[in-house]
Amino acid sequence: MDEPNTLLTLESLSLAQGNRMVLEGIEGHFEAGTITALVGANGAGKSTLVQGIMGELRPISGRVDCRVPNARRAWLPQQLALDLTFPMSVEELVMSGCWPTHGSFKRYGQAEYRRGQAVMQRLGLQAFEHRPLGELSGGQRQRALLGRTLMQEAQLLLLDEPFANVDAATVEVLIEVLQDMAAKGAAIIIVLHDHDQMTRLADRILHLERGHGTWSTPARSGDSPPPAETLA
Amino acid sequence: MIDWLFSPLIDFGFMRRALVAGLALSLVAPPLGVFLTLRGMSLVGDAMAHAVLPGVAVGFLLAGFSLPAMSFGGLIAGLLVAGLAGSVSRLTGHREDSAIASFYLISLAAGVMLISMRGSSVDLTHVLFGSILAVDSTALWLIVSVSSLTLIVLAAIFRILVVECLDPLFLRGQGIRGGAVHGLFLGLMVLNLTAGFQTLGTLMAVGLMMLPATAARFWSKRLEGLMGLAIAIGMISSVGGLLLSYHAGLPSGPCIILLAGVIYLFSALFGRYHSVFARWRRRVQPMLPPDAHG
Repeated sequence: MDEPNTLLTLESLSLAQGNRMVLEGIEGHFEAGTITALVGANGAGKSTLVQGIMGELRPISGRVDCRVPNARRAWLPQQLALDLTFPMSVEELVMSGCWPTHGSFKRYGQAEYRRGQAVMQRLGLQAFEHRPLGELSGGQRQRALLGRTLMQEAQLLLLDEPFANVDAATVEVLIEVLQDMAAKGAAIIIVLHDHDQMTRLADRILHLERGHGTWSTPARSGDSPPPAETLA
Repeated sequence: MIDWLFSPLIDFGFMRRALVAGLALSLVAPPLGVFLTLRGMSLVGDAMAHAVLPGVAVGFLLAGFSLPAMSFGGLIAGLLVAGLAGSVSRLTGHREDSAIASFYLISLAAGVMLISMRGSSVDLTHVLFGSILAVDSTALWLIVSVSSLTLIVLAAIFRILVVECLDPLFLRGQGIRGGAVHGLFLGLMVLNLTAGFQTLGTLMAVGLMMLPATAARFWSKRLEGLMGLAIAIGMISSVGGLLLSYHAGLPSGPCIILLAGVIYLFSALFGRYHSVFARWRRRVQPMLPPDAHG
């Protein structure tokens, strides 16, 4: 079952918050180039699973086997979780994605700035590069945050409802960029609510309910869907 | 006139030392204050200023009016309170600011009790409000060393602090422990408070940290701008406050901090962003008829 391009494996993973068991026996493989939608009602354990994958929560039992080094793992929290009044410009936020290679000391070179420019261009942010984050719209902020993960060249990307509070044009740009990242070999996991976005974007769906996970494939009109597999 | 105004800074040794001490503190305390305000910890600085007192008192009881001993004591007490508050908040899940508030009150009471057991009220006034006469060359070396060290450490953790203020999870994902950076930052703050208490007093030292930072927020939206302005305001307050203190025969600490306070009030009223004046102007503008703009 362990394929060479599997970037992340969950083996009968159980996670708890404090004394409360939240997830039990979650199984899953996340391959390079696939986009997985993580769905479930509020409190079903989506954030808990994300915390487990990012190594924030220690498993009660089972394990998380991640082949992507820290430097190439990215976690995009919901916008509301961030203090976006901080006096930082779009360019500075995007450039902070250089952290894995530049750390706290190293000066960003010409090459990095050029790459930053390309990332901002890709996301349609070139007109805003020196704008403080506090003056951006929700959509522009989300683009800038995704810009940081592009800069980081993330191979494993987890996003928590990236399309909430975001305008329609931005949703299109984000979907395009995410599909592009997947095509280049990243494994992407997105917490999603919207059914249409799920069918457009996801290759597979992990549905969490009452502590257990069910895998399925979105039904797509047009192409013939691969058979659904159920693992848990 | 200008000569009369500024000559005391050159003519007298104690004024020269106080000037260098003030400028050195103004170079590092305001940037720390900028980070404190951005991290929503404006009052934590104030609490820590109170927390250093028992350490200063123990230093005083053991070594008399020796500034290195008192500073060292203050540093230990400050770090102890910060560490205890951090552990209590981690162990109990309570917010860190409530833990700091509790520990600084315990610490302050212990400090006042220690000083009143052995010293006179004159000593207490010195410790609380500072005295420029207290800045001898040992004290000056101490202050300049603390400033230099702070500048180096701040430069080293600058990018971490910025990235962490915005999104702590990003750094945790990269394997950087936010707690360690936070601790280092609190340590720098305590170090500067103890260095500042010789000229400004324990209670006033935090003023040179916070007032320039809060005033700068009315003039700039950029981090570099905030830092530069805060440093400038700190230096102007230090020089102006010392001169005011000399010419009017007033205590130096309150003079410096009050001057910074005046700059803060002016900024709050007339600053470029979010000031009373800026808000008033913004509210009035839409009321103008469209052709009034030409």
